[in-house]
This record gives sequence, C-alpha cells and structure tokens, in this order.
Amino acid sequence: MKKSSIIGLVVIAIGIAVIISIYKGASTYGSFTDARTSQSVLRVVGQLDKQKELYYDAAKDANYFSFYVKDKKGEECKVVFRGTEPQDFQKSEQIVLTGQMVSGEFHASEILMKCPSKYTQDKIDVTEAKAKSASI
Amino acid sequence: MNKAFTGEHLLPGHLGQFFVILSFGGALLSTLSYYFATVNKNPADRSWHSMGRWGFYINSLSIIGVGVCLFYILYNHYFEYHYAWSYTSKDLPVYYLVSGFWNGQEGGFLLWTFWQAVLGNILIWKAKSWEKPVMTIVSFSQLWLASMLLGIELFGAKIGSSPFLLLRKAIEAPIFSQPNYLSFIKDGQGMNPLLQNYWMVIHPPTLFLGLASVVVPFAYAVAGLWQKKYKEWVVPAIPYALFACMILGTGVVMGSLWAYESLNFGGFWAWDPVENASIFPWLIMVGGLHVLIVYKNSGHSYFTGVFLVLVSFIMVLYQSFLARSGILGETSVHSFVDNGLFWHLVAFILVFLGLVIYLVVTRYKEMPISKKDEETYSREFWMFVGAIFLGLSCFHLVLVTSIPVWNRMFGTKVAPPTDLVGHYNIIQASFAMVITLLTGFSQFLKYKKTDTAKFFISTLVYLLVALLITVPVDYFSGLYKLHLVFQLVMLGAVYSLLVNGKVLIDAFKGKFKLAGSAVAHIGFGLMLAGAIVAAGTRGLVSVNESGTIAIAGFDKSAQGNKISGDSRENVMIYKNEPVKMGDYMVTYAGDSTAEPNHFYKIDYRRYDSKGKMIESFELKPKVQLNDRMGMTSSPDTRHYLTHDLYTHITALPQPKQPAGTDAQAAADHGDENNDKNYDPPIAHEIAVGDTIRFREGYMVLRGLKKETAIQNIPLLANDVAIGAKIDIVSNNKNYTAEPVYMIRGKNVFDFSRNVDDAGLKLRLTKIIPADNKVEITVYQQPENKRPWVVMRALDFPFINLLWSGTLIMILGFLLSIFRRNKEVKVV
Repeated sequence: MKKSSIIGLVVIAIGIAVIISIYKGASTYGSFTDARTSQSVLRVVGQLDKQKELYYDAAKDANYFSFYVKDKKGEECKVVFRGTEPQDFQKSEQIVLTGQMVSGEFHASEILMKCPSKYTQDKIDVTEAKAKSASI
Repeated sequence: MNKAFTGEHLLPGHLGQFFVILSFGGALLSTLSYYFATVNKNPADRSWHSMGRWGFYINSLSIIGVGVCLFYILYNHYFEYHYAWSYTSKDLPVYYLVSGFWNGQEGGFLLWTFWQAVLGNILIWKAKSWEKPVMTIVSFSQLWLASMLLGIELFGAKIGSSPFLLLRKAIEAPIFSQPNYLSFIKDGQGMNPLLQNYWMVIHPPTLFLGLASVVVPFAYAVAGLWQKKYKEWVVPAIPYALFACMILGTGVVMGSLWAYESLNFGGFWAWDPVENASIFPWLIMVGGLHVLIVYKNSGHSYFTGVFLVLVSFIMVLYQSFLARSGILGETSVHSFVDNGLFWHLVAFILVFLGLVIYLVVTRYKEMPISKKDEETYSREFWMFVGAIFLGLSCFHLVLVTSIPVWNRMFGTKVAPPTDLVGHYNIIQASFAMVITLLTGFSQFLKYKKTDTAKFFISTLVYLLVALLITVPVDYFSGLYKLHLVFQLVMLGAVYSLLVNGKVLIDAFKGKFKLAGSAVAHIGFGLMLAGAIVAAGTRGLVSVNESGTIAIAGFDKSAQGNKISGDSRENVMIYKNEPVKMGDYMVTYAGDSTAEPNHFYKIDYRRYDSKGKMIESFELKPKVQLNDRMGMTSSPDTRHYLTHDLYTHITALPQPKQPAGTDAQAAADHGDENNDKNYDPPIAHEIAVGDTIRFREGYMVLRGLKKETAIQNIPLLANDVAIGAKIDIVSNNKNYTAEPVYMIRGKNVFDFSRNVDDAGLKLRLTKIIPADNKVEITVYQQPENKRPWVVMRALDFPFINLLWSGTLIMILGFLLSIFRRNKEVKVV
C-alpha cells in the first residue's frame, strides 16, 4: 500500500473520531421541562423575567446569584448561578443557560447573553431623545 | 430628504461617499485591466497593464480619502453621522477616536482594504512578471471589499454598508422630523469601556494586516494555476506566506493580551467562536507554508501545498463571515449583529470558493504531482504529516465553531458541547502534542533520505532528556493534576525546545540559514508550554473556603457532567477589613474616581512566617458604571517574572452615589435620615480617658474642648459648644472624630460625626456635669451596609512564557523571511 493512502486513511480515521467526539459531546437546546425529565446538562434558551427578584447578597454568599427565566415554551424556573451577576445581564434580550436541574432549581454553569444593544444601541437613546422633543 | 436640516455637516460625508464609489470603480478598472493584460498575448501592448496600475492607484488613494473623511467626522464629533454617533463620544481621547475608527464593521473592512491596497502597491513594485495575474486576483479581492462599503440598495438587496450613513437615515424616530434635531443630540453613544484599552488601538490594525496579507500567497497560487506556471509561483510566494503567518499570529496574540488585560473572564483564551475563527487561516497558512517548503526542496506534496494555500484565503473570508453575519449570536460573546450583509458576505466566499474549485478541477491533471512516494525517513514526509495535523486541528475548530452554521443550513438544533472549553482543550491539545513532537524529531531528518540508525539514536536520546526535564516540571507546576494529554503537550514542547535549541546552536556555528525555523519553533514551544501552565494550573487566590478548586475545562473528568462554573471564585471584602487570601492579606482600602473610571484600591501584603511584611503593593482594578452598558469591570494585574496576580471586581453595592455629596452633608447637618443605615445606637456614659469597645475595635475619649466655631455655623456670644475628641482604632487603623454638643438659648443641638471608613457615626448626646461624664452614642453600620466589594483574584503562573514565546516566534518568522526572500529571483 502506498504511504499516501495510509495517511489518507489515518486522516479519515481522525476526522471521524473528531466528528464522533463532537457528536457525543454535543448537547441540545431544550426547555426546563426537558431539564427536569432528563436530569442531565443541557442548554436552555430563554428570557430573564425582569419582574421577579434578582437575588444576590454578597454578605451571605458572594457566589450565589439567583433569578427567574422564562424559556421559549413560556415555562418559568428559578435559576441559580454560582458567581456574581454577569455584565449586561439585565439588558439581555435573550439568555442561553448551560446547566442542569437540581431539586427544582436550574443550576447554571454558564450564562451567555445576547444583547443587541451592545453594538447597535439605537433604541435607548432615541427614546430618550423622544422624551426631550416631546417637552418642547 | 427635501427638508433642510440645520447644523449638519454634509460635505465630509458626501466626499467620503464619493471616495467609496471611486475606490470601487478603481478596483473594477484595475481588475478588468489586469485580467486583459494577463490574457493579452501581445507583449508590445502595455496599455492594459498601465491601466490596471492606474486603476489600483485610484483605488488606493480613494481608500485613503475615505479614511481621512471618516476620521475628520469622528475627530470633529459630527454626530449627524451614524458611525460617529454609535462608536464615539466627546469625552474620548484622540487615541481612542482612532480605535473608534475600527469599532464598527465598516471600519474593519476599511482597514482590511487599506492593508490590501498597501500590499498591492508592494506587489506592483516587486512582483515583476507575476504582477499581472497576481494583481488581477488582488484587485478582484479589493473590488469585493470596496463593495462592502458601498451602502446602496440594488433591487431591494443591500449592497455593503457605508460608514457615512447619516443618523437620521439609520434610525427612524420622530425626532428627525424636526429641522433642528441635531441640537438635541448632544453626544454620541460612546465606546464600549472594554474597548478603551491601548491594545484596541493596535490589535485590529495588526490582525487586519495579517488577514489582508493572506491574499498574496493565495493570488500567487491562483496565478500559478491560471498561467500554468505550476512550479514557479512557489518560491516568490514563500516570503509572503511567512509574513502572513507572522503578522496574523501577532494579531491573534495581541487580541488575547487585550482579553487578558481588559476583559474579566479570567484568562487569555476563551475558545469563543470569534477567537477560533481568527486562527483558522493561521493554522492553514502555517501548514501550507511548510508544505510549500517541502515542495521546493523535494518536489513532493505539490497538491497539498496548493490546496492549503488556496484554502487559507477561503478561511479568511469564512472567519469574516462568522464574525460579521450575526450567525454566531447564540454562541459568541463578541460577534457583531447582522448588518444586513449576510448574503453579501456569503457571496464573497462563494465567488472565491468557486474560483478555487474551478482552478483545481481544470488544472488537476497538469499539476506536477510526484508519482513516487516519499521516504519514510525523510524530512519532507514528516513535515507533510505535520501540516496535515495542522489542517486537522483547523478542521476540528471549524466543525465545532460552525455549529450555528450547520443548524442554519440543515435546519437542525444542535447545541455546542456543554463543557465546550474542556472539549476544545483536550482535542486541540492532542493535535498540539503531535505537532510539537513533529517540530522536534523532523529536525533530525534530512530531505530525501536519512541514516536511520543515527536518527533513532538522536531522537530517543533527546526524548529521554525531555522526559527527564518534563517530569519535575510537571510535578512542581502542578500539571500532573491535569488530564494526561496536557502533560504530553508539555513533553512535546520541551522536546521541541531541546531539539530546536540544538539546531540553533548549530546555526550559530555556521548553518545560519536554519536559524529562522529553529527560533520560530522554539517560540512556538514556549508559547504552548506557557499557555498550558498558565491556563491549566491557574491558581485561585480569592478563596474563602478551604480546599482546591478544579479548574473549569481542565479537570480530569472534563467530558463528564460536572458543572464547571461551580467553583466559588468570588470573595466579598469590607472596606478596611483585611482578609487572608492565599499568601496575602488583602484589604479593600478605598476607591477613587477619574470619570468615567472608578478605581478600587486593593491592598496586598505578604508576610513571612515571623510576621514580617515582605511585600506590599496595591492593585487598582477599575469599573465603569454606565447607564447604557451597566457595570463594566477591568482587571488590574501585578506582573512578576514567573507569575501574574490578577484581580478584578465582580460585584459592588448598589449604585454609587454621585461622589462627594452625601457623606459630608450628613456630617455637617447631623442628618437623621440615614440612621436606618445603622444598627440600633448604643449610648455609653464615659469619662475622659475611658474606652468604648465595638465590633472591629475600640475608641478612647481623649478630651473635651470648648468649641469656638462649628463648620458653617457662626457661634453666637451665648452659645455653648463642646467637642469630644475621640480616637478610634478600627481594624488596626486609626481615625479621629469630634462630635459636638451645642446649647443655643433653650435648645440643644448635637452634631454627629461620621467615620465612613470604619462604618461608624458618633454623637455627643448628653453632658452629665455631676459625674464628670458625657454620653457618647455610637451608631455602627451593620456589616452589609458598610462599603464592600466582591472580587476575584487569580494567579497565572509562567504566563510570561506565552508572551515571550510569541515574541521569539515572530523573530523566527522574521529571520525566515530574510532568508527566503534571498532565494527569490524573479524576472
């Protein structure tokens, strides 16, 4: 067998191994209900419920931050994050949580926020400008 | 549109837009002319050729014109332009106005096209017989980049996005119906505080120069295939490939330096999709470069070399698509949102991909692909294998990073692995291990054929020495606690360092030609060693509970179900209350404000076993509080030769009061309203010299004094005012306070004094002449009302290896460029 074919085979084998490892590692986007039933780590996409309390008391535990998130199916769940409130958290339009259910609370290990306002902050200032122009 | 608006400065915008269109026209003229110059077989006819040059000159000058107009707008704060309004504000210093320049997508394209224009002019000057075909490709790429800035609507599709768009056209709001709307727009949105860092002034230009320079080897490869000069393009392309690798690598590392110094995820690399995308072209180009050298020296691996060089430019386009199209929204922290250019960016990739596929398919049969197999014990064979592994490493990164792309293409809903960092770390480390070993032992091999016995002996001897060095390194650095693969990377890196060190010594003995690659490999080895140790054995200083914490992404069960964020890394500390963290006594000593930054002074002291202070320094992590962006925190780092101590603020008490209003006012007027901030007061009847104890210390009444004046209140003749001089010791710090008791007519007043740093308020509430005593009422703030910060402190061991390795690698590339440039003899 030619050496180039051996290399070709090795490359294909490694390629397949990589794909399998991604496939095995890949998680799914799910809902809180899915998290409750599966009890495994998954990602939940949802929105922060800004009506409910964001709890953080540094004096009690500087690594405990809890809040409520409504997932895409409209189910709401308390989320606990072992850390401090991430930057831009309350401005987020959408949150992607990675974590799992622990006795009825979703314990998030990672929070990823989508804040369009970061780069196109058009909305906020214009409403401000509106208020100004109305008063004149 | 027909309305007249007052106060607008439309000229620079019109001029800028004119230059944008001119640059497009110039690129179009240049592309067509160079194309016809290339296919024109009449050597006497130079008209196409000179037209191509003129087209390119027009394009280059217009780009400079665009840049000048845009900078003029930013510099003069013409907020009627969307770009100026979005990314800058009046308080930005000039050097950040420069970085505001490339804050938006349009600025990025502008920078890219600028560098490509510079490179094009160098090619016009240097490329000789290659100029026509190579410049056809470069101009064609310029044409696409120019189109990205056009900002016109054509048949309902958006073509490009112009930096000269007016605010009133970018946003719809009723305010713009007023002719004097500009007088309501006082200031721009300002720059994201995280971008206000000096690295942001130089990182984007470097990165874009790197990205732009990939087009040169690509254009040579395309020209070679197109003109059927299959072999000749390789030698002149090598120095440019080296240059692209050098600059792109530098740009990427600068980005991670910025992240390390300015962001607060606690590291220098987060495997964010945008970061990954920036190294796709680097990995492929480094692989391609090695295979080109293989081909030059042995005639083997032609196809792989061409293929990698062609793909590297496709990767440049693909990374630009990933970063700009908004497709990474759910997985990336710092990608842009879609600017309406999604399909434009896709078309950019597809056109060049189509060109690549066409050339490879039509020319494949004619390519000088060697029929003979390489020798197993030859350098070319193992360099080729190394390049393949670089390609595989990129393949893995592309596959995972593109998950949102696959989802969009196939309508699936796959999420990236839950332990993403661990996943990347382990798989990429496996590739890195193979690559470092290859950069080592392939040095013992010669091109064509090598004496096997000698090769095995030297390889194994060096491997043994490397192992002997790695074991103690592993043990003392704590690497042994990590997954085996990281230890193997360390072994590979040490091995590569040893072998290339030997090559370097030989180089100084005369074979100086080899110095470049040896130095670059040494740099690469150091970089990997530094990255593995710094990230893998990162120490947590801010622990309030005993026990070690597994570092996310590196623990042995990285693929398991462990929640990586569950490490309690934050510690709350009260002002002036020292807390022991690791080797340090850490105190939050105060804060200062230099708008828009709030600095928090964190005092670090280290004592030896006898309690003698051996080190003391202060770190000032900063926080920007901003209505629009909330709290933005940047770390401060104490650099040592062998490690870095990194500290940043992760939480603060609720909104800070405007500086200097509250405390003083309350002290002067004995404001009772803030009593709710204190625990119930305790009254003490004491005589001069007596001591009152409280939670953090004690206070002594030193004396009573008749006051003649109280701040702001003139004393009348019959007033009696007594001040109690009190020395306070709280947490081993000394303070004094002097509450005052005053009788005016039949009324009694008392003026309390606050000692904010100790969280105390003192009142002199009664004078009891009979017992020769006074009553001091002590208000103490409950613990959670006192000023505090929550911080996180990390220790990065040997991170300097990463930075110095990078510098060494750059130097290696530079040496190689000089060497390879001498080999170029183009007519």
